Amino acid sequence: MASLIPCPHCGVRPKEEFAIRGDASLVRPDPESSDETWNDYVHIRANPRGRYREHWQHVAGCRRWLVVERDTFTHEVFSVTDGSVRAWEIGR
Amino acid sequence: MPHQFQERHALEELVSMNAAAAADHLAVVARQAIVVVLAAEGQEASVAALLTADEEISVRFSAPGEWLVVTGLQTPELLQQSLAALLRETAHCVDQSHGRVLLRLSGANSRAILAKGIGIDLHPSAFVIGSSANVLCGHISINLALVDKNSFEIVVMRSFAESLLHDLCEMGRAFDLSVFFAP
Ligand SMILES: [Zn+2]
Repeated sequence: MASLIPCPHCGVRPKEEFAIRGDASLVRPDPESSDETWNDYVHIRANPRGRYREHWQHVAGCRRWLVVERDTFTHEVFSVTDGSVRAWEIGR
Repeated sequence: MPHQFQERHALEELVSMNAAAAADHLAVVARQAIVVVLAAEGQEASVAALLTADEEISVRFSAPGEWLVVTGLQTPELLQQSLAALLRETAHCVDQSHGRVLLRLSGANSRAILAKGIGIDLHPSAFVIGSSANVLCGHISINLALVDKNSFEIVVMRSFAESLLHDLCEMGRAFDLSVFFAP
């Protein structure tokens, strides 16, 4: 796993300072959606080998939610963005 | 029946009052005023400017739009009131003086001691005087600031203070770290 995460607010920090929530690409379904749709949203994950975008929280630092784009195979970190910036960028 | 509250330091019975400090020393600061300031949305820059202009207080970064304001020159009540008057509706100010513990680690080996538990670059060129950051020390989240050449201040949540003190003593054992309440 990527062991050094460049937090946009705190600088480069060890991964132990963070908590990982998982896939950041999921969009919460409509409340009236079918059970299958909700089951997929809650339980089904791609677990890709390669580029992955996740929600990380810097719990021991600034406590902000971040979107970390990293490679699960090479451990390379491509980008780290504050969650609020990301939400604004994609219009959510 | 009215309750009587007595002020009691979190490390009162664990640390002595002796004044003879070794070359590397951890001072437990008995009295300080600490207020958390949280800027209202869009007011981050103006709050930061007002705080840094005040020379009686020390401002420690904890998150975007959030700081710890520390001073030994005012009582908690006075600091809280003066900050509320200074910042008005641009920020929320919450007195944390009794909820946090302030420790001051100083000595030529202070960086070597901290490096045993902290994952940031503490070299004088990277972490300069006046720098501050929320970091993990072992398993405990602290606010670390460099206040003088070889002197760090640590602000920790009150309930974690005893555990952190234990860790810091272990980290400082190789350097004969002394621990006393600040006079
Ligand atoms: Zn951070």
